[in-house]
Amino acid sequence: MNRTAIAIWMVVAGFSLQFFAYFRWAAPLGAPTSPAFSDPRIPYAPAAFIFGVMLVFLSAVVYELQGGGEGESDG
Amino acid sequence: MNEKKRLPFGMGRLGTKWWVLVGVSLTLVTRGIIAYSQQASEGEVVTGMRDIGPMGGAAWGLYIVFVVYFVGISFTGICLASLIRLLNLKVLRPIVRPAEVMTVIALILGALAILADVGQPGRAFLMLLKYARPQSPFFGTFAMVISGYLFGSLVYLYLHGRPDAAVLAKRPGLLQRFHRWWAAGYGDTPPERARRVRSSFWLSVALLPLLITATSTLGFVFGLQGGRPGWFGSLQAPGFVVMAGLSGVGVLILIAAGLRQALGEKERLNLELFRWLADFLLVLLAGYLYFLVVEWLTNSYAAGPSESLVSQAILAGENAWIFWGSVAFLTLPAFLLLLQRLRGRVSLPLIVACGVMVNLAAIAKRFLIVVPSQTHGMLLPYSTGSYTPSLVEWEIVIGLVGLGGLLFALFVKGFPILELDRDYLGGTK
Amino acid sequence: MARYGMVIDLSRCHGCRACMVACKVENNTPKGSFWNYVFRFEEGVFPETRVSFLPRPCMHCDNAPCVKVCPVGSRHKTLEGLTLTDWDRCIGCRYCEVACPYGVNCFNWKDPKKNRYLDWSDPSLEGVELSHGMPYANPDLDLPQGSQGRHTAGGGRMKGVVEKCTFCVHRLEKGLLPACAANCPVGALVFGDLDDPESPPSQLLREKPHFRLLEGEGTEPRVYYVGGAPPTTASRQIEAVKARVER
Repeated sequence: MNRTAIAIWMVVAGFSLQFFAYFRWAAPLGAPTSPAFSDPRIPYAPAAFIFGVMLVFLSAVVYELQGGGEGESDG
Repeated sequence: MNEKKRLPFGMGRLGTKWWVLVGVSLTLVTRGIIAYSQQASEGEVVTGMRDIGPMGGAAWGLYIVFVVYFVGISFTGICLASLIRLLNLKVLRPIVRPAEVMTVIALILGALAILADVGQPGRAFLMLLKYARPQSPFFGTFAMVISGYLFGSLVYLYLHGRPDAAVLAKRPGLLQRFHRWWAAGYGDTPPERARRVRSSFWLSVALLPLLITATSTLGFVFGLQGGRPGWFGSLQAPGFVVMAGLSGVGVLILIAAGLRQALGEKERLNLELFRWLADFLLVLLAGYLYFLVVEWLTNSYAAGPSESLVSQAILAGENAWIFWGSVAFLTLPAFLLLLQRLRGRVSLPLIVACGVMVNLAAIAKRFLIVVPSQTHGMLLPYSTGSYTPSLVEWEIVIGLVGLGGLLFALFVKGFPILELDRDYLGGTK
Repeated sequence: MARYGMVIDLSRCHGCRACMVACKVENNTPKGSFWNYVFRFEEGVFPETRVSFLPRPCMHCDNAPCVKVCPVGSRHKTLEGLTLTDWDRCIGCRYCEVACPYGVNCFNWKDPKKNRYLDWSDPSLEGVELSHGMPYANPDLDLPQGSQGRHTAGGGRMKGVVEKCTFCVHRLEKGLLPACAANCPVGALVFGDLDDPESPPSQLLREKPHFRLLEGEGTEPRVYYVGGAPPTTASRQIEAVKARVER
């Protein structure tokens, strides 16, 4: 269950990160009437978005690999 | 018995054909690098692109055409792989790995084509990570297609390769360390297998909508622009998705036929598999031809004057040969594949020829989407523009194709390009 | 705060293109780069022909398509109503250029230093004594502009970035008119604060019927035209400027 919990947590965190980065931290959407529309509200918000996408996919790797090799490794 | 001792699918054995492929690819890549260094030192004045307006040119050209083309191919690869796994299509199973590899390679080429296009590639990375704006339709291309989607497909390829890597990791050899790293302790125990099935399902479920979104954002790059006649339209995004499917299945047919020939894998890559791929192609062709008719009917019936100018340039002007060529390369395969289907036969050369034609049509169609709206789609009465790709542009683009071939050739020698059978090396276990 | 705009009186413009030249001199734009452009149109069939002129600076749209599509926020809207390019941020993707329906953007296809009408750094020019001194290089272009202190005036432009009309932001900071408006011999280009009802452009807009270019695109340009009509499909360009960049 532990690995499932971690994977689900990573997916939730990844999607939340994407949501906040897109709608809250990056430059606002709408008719651009001031310089504020051209600057992210938090620097590197797009990097956070990309990290969010990666986190979601990384959860699959963690789910499969986490502790998987113990005792079975032949190396 | 001796057969089983050798590495599968020509791994590790470098034959003449392989060296020819690598030699040709390397030549193309070298020419591409020389051309790019020319562009990097002199600026994009070495391309055929020029400013829209008083300069009478197109600001986007061959590079953007191939960004769209490469991303389209990558979309199909992972999409088919996911569908085959989700629906458990046994016949198509052998092309899952080639499709996944095709995706990753095509995405790398797409990213490089973007770098070839932007004027300040060195700046691009930092600026995009720091400032990228969701409102720009490019956000989807940069943030999702290249980074998220590339990462997602790498994860997909990696996880699905683990069982094969685990088998190969048991064999001593040059690549054993690599295979052991890839296998990461996979032991093929029942719980591991169950986990694999589960994660594979969820990955496919997560990837499919992401893929459609990402390819659509590429369509939105054009479809959201009201200021360029011929671009604005809601059919643009779905059209991109279907065209992506067409070109991708086409390339996959070529890869599968090439592997069948080179590896002598007539069992796994059998004609039944090619029949399936031909059917996919036929269905997608029918869909795309429908889009084409709808698009041109709407345009010719109710277009404004500036839209008409663009249509004119495409249908009867300087771009007419590209348009009618692409129409021919879409209808002819559709007709041939339908005929083949009705006669109940499967002809490999014919399917391969259709794959080639469809890809040429896809490149031509992308060119017609990108260029005429810039050279002929001016809303103010500027003089008509023109765009002819320069030698440098062709060399860079063909160099990228060569790089794709090179990466594929290298992968084939380091990892089984077809999934191993369950009983492979069964005797040693 | 002033929100700038321009009113162009087409009944006065006689197509001399002095504004284009003034712009080039003021902003030191490289070859082939026309921040301001004057259309010379002809309509009808000889002898029933009519000639008209239409200066086209950047429209500095309030709902600018170029600002919307810029992936990195280099193209931005200032509080003074200007649509400017941050030279330090532009990655040269040229999306602004394909999104703009007015065709005002110019890309630096080659190093601008190698694309000037005269190479100022050429050592062979050192001994040359011109009656009016050396060709003019505007030092103000390098200054950071506005409250954000960004490089938006055109200084430090380099190969692979996009540039366009700035309404001479560096002159506005000094309280001067843009070069095109200041140099128009007949006062056809009227520049000022559109929010101030007493400013010359506001008064002109009150007095005369006006239009904006491609109003249907929803771009909300800040450049208005009075004393004429928008170009139609019958308008043919005569003496189109040959903007060229060669290797």
